[in-house]
Amino acid sequence: MNNPVTSPDIDPIDRLTILAAALPGAAVRQRQITAPFEAVWRVVADLEQATPRYEPSVAHVRVIERHGELLRLLVEDTAGREEIMDAKLRPGWCLMQSATVVVAFAARPLGSQTLLAHLEHRRVRAPLPSQSGSHHRRAAEAKIDQELQTIERLATQGRP
Amino acid sequence: MDPAKVAAAQQGDALALDQLLDELAPYVRRLCARIAPAAADDATQEALLAIFRGLPSLHAPEAIMAWVRSVTVRTAMRLVREPDQELAAGPTPADGSVPSFEGLADIDDALARLPPSQRAVLVLRTREGLSEQEIATALGIPAGTVKSRLHRARAAFREMWES
Repeated sequence: MNNPVTSPDIDPIDRLTILAAALPGAAVRQRQITAPFEAVWRVVADLEQATPRYEPSVAHVRVIERHGELLRLLVEDTAGREEIMDAKLRPGWCLMQSATVVVAFAARPLGSQTLLAHLEHRRVRAPLPSQSGSHHRRAAEAKIDQELQTIERLATQGRP
Repeated sequence: MDPAKVAAAQQGDALALDQLLDELAPYVRRLCARIAPAAADDATQEALLAIFRGLPSLHAPEAIMAWVRSVTVRTAMRLVREPDQELAAGPTPADGSVPSFEGLADIDDALARLPPSQRAVLVLRTREGLSEQEIATALGIPAGTVKSRLHRARAAFREMWES
């Protein structure tokens, strides 16, 4: 049994909730994926191949540096613009950040399935009137829902 | 704790926030487990949420540990589910009960059987090494109250431990 005084790690989903609390305006959604954790995480962790398949604005991702859990990515969007992202990647936790956006994934096994949470946050944002702010949030959440569905499809396609 | 890293986290640098979480979580968890052993997981998560939500309001990044301690201790105290006998009725429990001495396993077990307000001051004094003034600041109570609670907590602990 874990000793609660020394038990080291925070559950990744709880970690994402805490991160979101520090990023006002961040959009977070989660989905129970009908695939085992290993299959889901194989998709999320495959940044170069999988990201352009579920993120509609991304054309290419290339890992240009890797030091243990820390990565540096060169991301090209569909308009041809390039941006550097710094990332932290370990099983169940993926956090990526550029000068303009923060993207995070957290996952934990749920029996033979997986709970996957996804956060997106725009770091530089002009103040919006409250009505368009809530519209913006709904649009961001709908986009995340779509991405989670795509990740589920990619994870289940990889099943034997 | 590097004040520059704290300041970066306050500005919304997500990787700095992530690193700060790695550094703060063990301390927050340890405090919660000792002050609210029956609700340690909930207290840890609630305290971390309060800390990260309130991070921009911290005016002095170099004072982060004292602030984290205060938020954590108050959150843990709030989540302790057992009735706080000392707060309700002073040194004599309202219902006449006393901490049970049966089956005492170790020091943590003995601490867990103290009323929460006594347990908090004893943990902060003996396990965390805080001064009475630092405890008073963390709990938001007068130093004299800390002193009297410590006196009662030590007496109750000694009685349990020696029985």
